[in-house]
Amino acid sequence: MQKSFCLHVLKIGEKATISELNARELPSKFFEMGLLPGTVVEVKHKAPFNGPIGLHIHNSNVLIAIRRSEATHILVER
Amino acid sequence: MRDPIIALLGNPNVGKTSLFNRITKLHQHVGNYPGITVEKREGSVKANGRNYRIIDLPGTYTLYPTSLDEEIVYNALADKHNPVHPDLVIVVSEPNNIKRSVVLYQQARELGVPALFVINMIDEVNEKGLEIDYAKLEGYLQTRVLTTDARNGRGIQKVIEAFDERPGHFLGKFKVDEKYTEALEEAKRAFPLNTEYQTWQFLAQNHVSFLRDEDRQKIRAIREKYSLRPNELQQAEAIERNTNIEKDIKEIVFLAENRHLTKTNRIDRLLLHPFWGYAIFFAILFVTFQLVFTLSAPIMDWIDEHFSALIDYTASILPEGPISNLITQGIMAGIGGIIIFVPQIAILFLLISLMEETGYMSRVVFLMDRWLRPYGLNGKSVIPLMSGVGCAVPAIMAARNIENTKERLVTMLVTPFMTCAARLPIYIVLIALVIPDDTFLGFGLQGIVLNVLYILGVLAALLSAWVLSKIVKSQHKSFLIFELPSYKTPDWRNVGTNVWDKTSGFLFGAGKIILAMAVILWVLGSFGPNDKFSNADQYVMEANPGLSEEELEEEVASFQLEHSFLGYIGMGIEPLVKPLGYDWKMGIGLVSSFAAREVFVATMATVYSLGEDVDIEDEDQKTTLLGKMKSEINRNTGQPAYNLASGISLLLFYAFAMQCMSTIAIMKRETGSWKWTLIQTGMMTGMAYVVAFIAYQLIK
Repeated sequence: MQKSFCLHVLKIGEKATISELNARELPSKFFEMGLLPGTVVEVKHKAPFNGPIGLHIHNSNVLIAIRRSEATHILVER
Repeated sequence: MRDPIIALLGNPNVGKTSLFNRITKLHQHVGNYPGITVEKREGSVKANGRNYRIIDLPGTYTLYPTSLDEEIVYNALADKHNPVHPDLVIVVSEPNNIKRSVVLYQQARELGVPALFVINMIDEVNEKGLEIDYAKLEGYLQTRVLTTDARNGRGIQKVIEAFDERPGHFLGKFKVDEKYTEALEEAKRAFPLNTEYQTWQFLAQNHVSFLRDEDRQKIRAIREKYSLRPNELQQAEAIERNTNIEKDIKEIVFLAENRHLTKTNRIDRLLLHPFWGYAIFFAILFVTFQLVFTLSAPIMDWIDEHFSALIDYTASILPEGPISNLITQGIMAGIGGIIIFVPQIAILFLLISLMEETGYMSRVVFLMDRWLRPYGLNGKSVIPLMSGVGCAVPAIMAARNIENTKERLVTMLVTPFMTCAARLPIYIVLIALVIPDDTFLGFGLQGIVLNVLYILGVLAALLSAWVLSKIVKSQHKSFLIFELPSYKTPDWRNVGTNVWDKTSGFLFGAGKIILAMAVILWVLGSFGPNDKFSNADQYVMEANPGLSEEELEEEVASFQLEHSFLGYIGMGIEPLVKPLGYDWKMGIGLVSSFAAREVFVATMATVYSLGEDVDIEDEDQKTTLLGKMKSEINRNTGQPAYNLASGISLLLFYAFAMQCMSTIAIMKRETGSWKWTLIQTGMMTGMAYVVAFIAYQLIK
């Protein structure tokens, strides 16, 4: 069985598939900007000292940045 | 018949504004949406034998609003009584991101608004390795699909020709999940006149501002009955739509070759680097401010010189008297005070809009968010804060980039704490007066004090942001999600219109208030309540016989100021400024500084009878002014008026107080509220008073 973990754990260059988003904590804008269950994301950049995380969303080929505090509400699996 | 309204709708970074500029051929103006102060860009175009009104709606990813900008889009499309409710929507898309635009398109159509679909930046189709089956796309969207390249104008004419097309009935794509159908049916009975999707939107939004209170009550009751949360409904819709579009669009847009954002990624690896990213950002900032000052200095000198010449000329042709004084020293000097800022503002906005157009601005947000968040600010606050070192006026305007209304407000409230260019001459005079020219640990003490004052500005901004963010209420939850768009060469038309909009907005908007204040100050300074003002020369001659003509003139000016309304105000507020260590002359300086800080030096010069034009960069004149100020005795304390205690107190007062009517004017314009403008003025001036008081009492 695959194990889910929080998105912010991923290191730069690592890819994973979003398995679940904490719908209560995240505004719908996260869904609308392409962070949906089943989407493959790749961490491209991380600002130092737990700053924002830059994600490449594979199926729509865009770069999105979110805060680490919100990344903890996104579960991914490899 | 009224002119048809065509609205441009689209995600940010799809070149919507470029398209708008092309369609309207720059026949456009920036206004405000009724009741709120978010900018409305509207233009017009004559074509097909009629006149069209074109509205450039703010960029958005969805019709569910999370910011003021997005609420405007929703209200314009969903409310049929909205003054800018469009007759036709042009959904603007770009090849890379057709899916996201389709979501927006479907939402608009299901609300009942006719729409065409435009794929802009069509030149990128090949570059990104895409193939699009246009016939299939038209079938899928049930409308015309057009392609444009707004940068060189290709395809624009076709879009304009299609303005009279109204695509037929749209078969909704969104299937409401079964678990919500019962609630939706009940809501539909309450709103029989609306489309099903419109009703669903009412259910899925916390607060639809254009509904009547009783209708909002009804919706709330239904939501409570079925225990529905708006956020949950919105997410359900996002998932539904995206899953379907993902599946359907595979048959229409083919990714021939997966070319990732290679170029952008390579640049980002440097610009977002944990070390080099910051180094480059600060280097860019440094160069930006250097450019703002060095490029604008000669233009400002030129304006200053020619304006003075113009004023002298006007004075020479007008008959001497109070009217001539009002026109030359009140009105014209006031206008000159506005125009002098134009080069700085234009250059600053040129550089800022270049950073926006290229896509670098999002990178700045990425780098700085971590460092500003603890103070209740947002990565985007960095632009206004840094611009504040030049001038708070354009800086406050730059806060428009911040979507979150609370973070935008807090940013605007604290930006004037940053040490602006106008504080510098006052600092230089006062430091030279009261800080000994010694060295401390090998550094000049005077230089250290100047640096400390700059740092104090930053600290005051951050600390008050921290306090304010605890007080200000937020309508929208603070979160941050933003796109890092791929790097582009700037569209010069966009840069040009942007710089023009902001500069002319300053010139005409804030200008009116600055002008009024300048006239009031002039009146107060040029008239007195009794004959000590009108017959000043007699009084002076009696007191000091044997003055040369030049000395007499200066003494008279000084005596007149003392007995003008402004002078009496200065003496009137003396009890108030006495605890800070100032006398009435410094009081006048303070009062006149509320028009603009830089007035202080000129007022001091007048009070100490030096004639009005003291050039602080001219060593001789500076020494004379400093000499006079140094020998001045505060008649309350019997000590020198400018000693260490009163000098430090004055420096601190200038560091914190809101003494700039341009800033007050722009705050009123940008917040649309006198409440926040007055709170800001009160907060800054109150803080200045307290800090100056403590400093004076401690050092004295």
